[in-house]
Amino acid sequence: MQMLRNRSIRSAIIITTTVITVVALAITLFTTLVNFNITTARIVESSSEEINKQLVLNYENYIDNVTETANYISQTTNEYGLNGNYQDLNSIYAQASNIQSDIVNIALLDQYGKKVYASRDDGVNGELVSSKWFNKALETKEIFHFSSPKSQDIFLVNSNEKVITVSKSVKYYIDNEKYEGVLVIDLSMNNINNIASRTNLGEGGHIVILAADDTLVFSNLMSCTTNNCESVQIVDKYNIGSKQVVVDETDMFLSINTLKNTRWRIASFINSEDIAVSRRNSQILSLTVLVFTFTITILAATLIARRISNPIFKLRDHINTINNGNYQKIKLEGQKEVVDLADNFNQMIDETVVLMDQLVTEQKAKRRSEFKALTTQINPHFLYNTLDSIMYLSESNENEKVQRMVAALSKFFRISISRGKNVIKLEEELEHAKNYLLIQQIRYNEKFTFEFDIDERTLDFRVVKLVLQPLIENAIYHGVNTEFDQGHIIIRTLIKNDRLHLEVEDDGYGIPEKKIGELYQDIKGEDSYSSVGLKNVYQRLKIYFNNDSDLEIESELDEKTIFRLVLPLERSKK
Amino acid sequence: MKRIILVLSLLLLSGCQPQRPVKVDMLIYNTNDNYMYQFANDILDLSSYDIKYAIVDSENSQILQNKQINELIENDTKILLVNPVDRLGAYVTINAAKAKDIPIIFFNREPLKEDLEMYDKAFYVGAKAKESAMLQAELVKEAFGPASELTRYDANNDGVIQLVILKGEESHQDAEIRTNVIISELEAAGYQLDILAIAGADWVKEASYEKMLDLISLHQGKIELVVSNNDAMAIGAIEALDDQNIFNDVNSNGQFDIDADSFIPVVGIDGIPEALRLVEEGKLYGTVINDSKESAVKIVELVRALVKNEKVDDLKFEITDDHYVWVNYKKISN
Repeated sequence: MQMLRNRSIRSAIIITTTVITVVALAITLFTTLVNFNITTARIVESSSEEINKQLVLNYENYIDNVTETANYISQTTNEYGLNGNYQDLNSIYAQASNIQSDIVNIALLDQYGKKVYASRDDGVNGELVSSKWFNKALETKEIFHFSSPKSQDIFLVNSNEKVITVSKSVKYYIDNEKYEGVLVIDLSMNNINNIASRTNLGEGGHIVILAADDTLVFSNLMSCTTNNCESVQIVDKYNIGSKQVVVDETDMFLSINTLKNTRWRIASFINSEDIAVSRRNSQILSLTVLVFTFTITILAATLIARRISNPIFKLRDHINTINNGNYQKIKLEGQKEVVDLADNFNQMIDETVVLMDQLVTEQKAKRRSEFKALTTQINPHFLYNTLDSIMYLSESNENEKVQRMVAALSKFFRISISRGKNVIKLEEELEHAKNYLLIQQIRYNEKFTFEFDIDERTLDFRVVKLVLQPLIENAIYHGVNTEFDQGHIIIRTLIKNDRLHLEVEDDGYGIPEKKIGELYQDIKGEDSYSSVGLKNVYQRLKIYFNNDSDLEIESELDEKTIFRLVLPLERSKK
Repeated sequence: MKRIILVLSLLLLSGCQPQRPVKVDMLIYNTNDNYMYQFANDILDLSSYDIKYAIVDSENSQILQNKQINELIENDTKILLVNPVDRLGAYVTINAAKAKDIPIIFFNREPLKEDLEMYDKAFYVGAKAKESAMLQAELVKEAFGPASELTRYDANNDGVIQLVILKGEESHQDAEIRTNVIISELEAAGYQLDILAIAGADWVKEASYEKMLDLISLHQGKIELVVSNNDAMAIGAIEALDDQNIFNDVNSNGQFDIDADSFIPVVGIDGIPEALRLVEEGKLYGTVINDSKESAVKIVELVRALVKNEKVDDLKFEITDDHYVWVNYKKISN
């Protein structure tokens, strides 16, 4: 869960869905596969063991047949011998190989290896006493001894046919005298071959029969003719039981069992490649299913995640544009929750737009009223003083001055009012300033002179009206020394750094650095009750130009002081 | 206080619990063989707190027994106790046990000596087949008297015993040995034998009954002795003879008279309950008991020594030729 915390919805959905599906499927497939392998292994084991069992039973059956015949003959030899019925005994031996086709030779030999009865008329081998089967029979009595396949060696006349010699010590009677001898039967390989070939052991499957001394008795595998054969080595190694082995690079299931009464072991090698193939197939199938499901899951999860996250992304991008001031509504398609979200968002936008409009309107109204209030603050004192001066001049009959003053006052007020406009051409503003200066010059009895230094290009720019007058007023009251000296005031306009500069320069005492700091504090600070005139100008500029304006003070002590308004060009040119 | 002591002593007792007992599976060639079933149960009864026995039936299939042996060896059994189906195939089992150093005891069906000698921890517990026949010969000697002058049952008084032998399964070790030994023992003792027949009856009562009927009619009154390789066949023979009214209660004492002229002695081997009853009644002259209880005791003691890694030489009984523990037979007669 921790790893999903900071991920996008899309990857969270895809990762979760895919991981859960694939893990669940992988577990299912793995257990199925393991089960399948165990089951098939068990089936192979039990079917192979069953085949081996059948083989063992078939061989035992055959061996039982042989021993039964041998027992019958030995019993008959006893009985007939006791009865002195030698004629019949002779014929039984003579015909035995005719009656039972797999009996090649049969003979009863005395303990010196001489023939007593036999299926053949020719003489027996003189060296029988030294042959292995003969001695074994006499050494370990009561049991049948089965030899390995070899050419017959009972009789003198030989043949190429391979036989297995079965020998056993027996008692026989002649003239009521008991003798010990050896009953010997040569078996053809036919039946042993037949039983092997009748059994289906699969491609390359084969059997191996080993004697007690681990020598090869029989194998139906063409290449397995000696003890060095790979299969014989394997049987030697495992002794008995069942085992999955590899023979000649082929998977085989080996079962080894004993063959009753023979002291032989029979091993069956049954081809189990099919199992390996089907196991491989099921592994490939499982892997395919896993990969297929993985792909499908990722695709489906991506699709669903997209349907959910795309509208959300859209919404997010839309909100970003809103941050840039674009209050558009959004139209979303997708899951219900997302559509609801969009609807709610749209409602919010509606409300925001209404609120914003309200705010803007309110702000405008507020600014207008502030602006008006500030503009109207200028006049009263000046008007009273001027009217007082006019009255004084007329009393002293200086009519010409009265005329000039009234004319200037008249122009002054016309521009002041300017049909209620707040912004006027700089030319008009300069005119207004000139009139003011004229009025003040008369009032201060020509104690100062003034000049205009105008850049002609500036005249058409528009400025907030009545901004120069407070600066000039300031210069007259605080700048020029009206008592002892003849002051001089310069009104200057210029364009510098793409800004419009309006300067009022006087040649008074100047203002110390420290005092300029305090002035800035008064003008630009929040306290609205000090330095009424300059602060008023500054505030109006701020309101009108949205901070895109400044008031600078520059002074050299006993030389000059400049009050400068720095205004934008663009907005004032219309 | 008493309670505390009780609790403490219980704790102590549980603390020194004995180890888990050793489980010994005995593989019985076929539990349908009554004798072997009885034998197996005799061993089972000797289970102790530290060695527990269990019967595993091989259902007369060496294939099944091979599988059972393989499983036991794979499960690291402490010991193998085998009554083999095919005694000749025992070399395979011995090799398998030797490879894992597991001691192995065969019983009642004797592997070849050369096989037992391959492994110093391979043993055979059982009776000598030979001995049963030797005791059977003793019974015959008791019945007929000395070889020089037969005092009883020589119906034709020719000084020769006319006998039939009921042989067990042909080629079966016991059948061969018992048949050969009874003959050679009697001959060695100087008895003159006229063996009328050696009839194979596969250890079974019914087959023996049929064979006996044939022999009775073939040899019309000539038969003076019936030697059977086991009790079951002896009982079959007695039933056949019974049809000829040879068993008579002359003195009416409720018991058949073995001295009656018509009486033909039958001797068996095994001492099964029915045979013992017939000995009691007087129909069966005698039998030889293979004492399964004695065998069981010897097997269990040998198992204990081998499982506990004790020296087998210290056992109360002798181990002959390093591999054989012989169990004795006993004669039973009236």
